[in-house]
Amino acid sequence: MYTHLHEEIEALKLKVLKMAALTEEAVGKAVRSYVKKDLYLAEEVQDGDVQVNRLDVEIDELALRLLALEQPVAGDLRFILGCMRISVDLERVADEAVNIAERSIMLSSRPPLPFQDDVAEMGGKAMAMLQHAIQAFTSGNVEAALQVCSLDNEVDVLNHKNMRKVIEYMIHETPAIERSVHTIILIRRLERIGDLATNIAESVVFISEGVNIKHKRYFDEHQ
Amino acid sequence: MTEQVKVSCRNLHFYYSDFHALQDITFDMYQHQATALIGPSGCGKSTFLRCINRMNDLIAGVRVEGSLTMDGQDLNDPAHDVVVLRRRVGMVFQKPNPFPKSIYENVAYGLRVNGVSDRNFIDTRVEESLKLAALWDEVKDRLDQSGLSLSGGQQQRLCIARAMAVEPEVLLMDEPASALDPIATQKIEELIHELKSSFTIIIVTHSMQQAARVSDRTAFFYMGRLIEVGPTSKLFTRPENKQTEDYITGRFG
Repeated sequence: MYTHLHEEIEALKLKVLKMAALTEEAVGKAVRSYVKKDLYLAEEVQDGDVQVNRLDVEIDELALRLLALEQPVAGDLRFILGCMRISVDLERVADEAVNIAERSIMLSSRPPLPFQDDVAEMGGKAMAMLQHAIQAFTSGNVEAALQVCSLDNEVDVLNHKNMRKVIEYMIHETPAIERSVHTIILIRRLERIGDLATNIAESVVFISEGVNIKHKRYFDEHQ
Repeated sequence: MTEQVKVSCRNLHFYYSDFHALQDITFDMYQHQATALIGPSGCGKSTFLRCINRMNDLIAGVRVEGSLTMDGQDLNDPAHDVVVLRRRVGMVFQKPNPFPKSIYENVAYGLRVNGVSDRNFIDTRVEESLKLAALWDEVKDRLDQSGLSLSGGQQQRLCIARAMAVEPEVLLMDEPASALDPIATQKIEELIHELKSSFTIIIVTHSMQQAARVSDRTAFFYMGRLIEVGPTSKLFTRPENKQTEDYITGRFG
């Protein structure tokens, strides 16, 4: 039997997917704006954030209404809670994209530093994590979600490697310190996108299995 | 607090003549907990409830197989005194059914039929029971008025007080709030939380939200079978059985 609640849940899913598509696009444009020094792309990311924020509010309102009026349980309840968490994470990813775009604008007017390839590689990994997390959400695939979590290490390794590289560069090229600091912040934003993609994948596991795997390693080690 | 089994059934089957109404039911109901029985109409939950105080004995052609015990004693043992059993296992029905007597006499009734005549003792038990049923403050100045003069919600609490007066160990509730408005329902649900500390409660309800709110454990029945039983918080968030999930999320049928 297909009920009113299930129609509403489909509408909620569509909103999350729309938000995910816009966020994914924003991250891609932000990374490209840095690599290609494309001011136009960076401005598009800044202007597009309002749409993501609007969807975040809409998802919150719809989820709140469903919880209050439909009193969902079991899989429906987990799905709504999962969507609320995912929309918070997507909104943060979009904010990180805006932050990257701002750095790109700042750096585009100055002589370039030799980190385009490193940022492009790390951006590609973070993007892939985000895409896989969203695909796992679309299909409800727990295995795919768990794979996203395991990719986070790779982004972390690149983060440390790139940080060291930029710091070493700064030591020898003192006139580039300001640009290097902005580059470090940009790298840190990409690492954060990887973390947030992991959060989304963890929410996919929660929706399917009803277990919270966040901080699991910490609790396992401290019990 | 360690969980202690109060009522237990093993491979319980129940027949109304040829109709196999309960099929191979096995689970435990714990002391000082509320166990909710849920499921669609005709699934056997009320039949199961009535097995516990042997109300089904009153129907011709019924047959019980398997074991149903309270504190390890076989409830279906022919030697078991049904009158004693029903003092130990109280029951509250869907529709409030006070006797056409005064509020006081409604509560005192069970004591009187059990041979209690000490006026002071009865006074004390009536007051205690009405307090336990959260009705005392509303009726203490009009105990001699008819029980039928009370509102529906008050009548239901009067019936709960009447059941409590003989100090049962188990209280069976068959949709106790389905005929009540939301405020009266809330009072009954609060009462269930209070009563759990003194009694073992087994409640049949059509409202899944009510089962979720008041019970510690929930059992889902479907077509005479027990499909799933477990802690209520788990059953309503992570049910193990697909049929349970479909039923509680309204995807049934």
